[in-house]
Amino acid sequence: MLVEISVVVYMLVVFGFVAWNIKKGSFLIDPSILVPVLIFIGALAVALLAFMGIDFGIATTTIMKIGAAGILFSGTIPMVAAGIGLLRFGDEYGINIFYARNHIGGIVDCVASLVMIFVGLLIVRLDLVAVGFFFFMLLPFTSNALANSYYYSYQRRIKQ
Amino acid sequence: MIDLSFLNSFAESAFFWSALIFSFACAFTGLAAIRLSLKGEAVTSLMAVSTFTTVAGVSLFLISLPELFNVGFARDTAIALLVVGSIGTIIFARLFRMGK
Repeated sequence: MLVEISVVVYMLVVFGFVAWNIKKGSFLIDPSILVPVLIFIGALAVALLAFMGIDFGIATTTIMKIGAAGILFSGTIPMVAAGIGLLRFGDEYGINIFYARNHIGGIVDCVASLVMIFVGLLIVRLDLVAVGFFFFMLLPFTSNALANSYYYSYQRRIKQ
Repeated sequence: MIDLSFLNSFAESAFFWSALIFSFACAFTGLAAIRLSLKGEAVTSLMAVSTFTTVAGVSLFLISLPELFNVGFARDTAIALLVVGSIGTIIFARLFRMGK
């Protein structure tokens, strides 16, 4: 029971932090500070567990899996927000709403690829990292090709 | 030697539930993308289908992990969806641009 309550508290803390970032519109804590601090806290926890007599490999795996869970929780809120955005931005906003939808699609792709990369790194699954990295590299080309094709097809329709 | 069972079970449980909740979020976004693909025009449908392949691929990759459901063949399907889906989107966008 205590484990489930701890998971719910962890989930609520991560959800709250990410939602607060999204509501503010910018980073609460700059990622160049937050990420090294989180890595340092993780390394400190592993060192503490190893100092208390726990096997170093098991301690590292456990702490990294908790970090992977945090990344998956933090990817949930942007994914749901993107889904709501795709549902809400209808055709009544005009023809240029495609670019907003394309932006939302880019957010979905970006969240998915970053989650794959960092979760794969933390649970040591290099196939996940490789596919996520490949997808992350291909993502701007996809969005650009879609926007480009929409622009030229719209221009052609105007001429006709 | 202290007992690591609480931390270990917390890590296992947190990872399982986080992956499950992320998969549900992906499913919600995928449903929104399907709705958009059915009501939009050609390029909008292409964009929505591209989004759907992304979320389907990530969900399939997550369920193929041994820490979760360990569905081995889902990994190959996920790789095919993610790689071929992106490349296919670029190719079809190129064709739409040329007006074919």
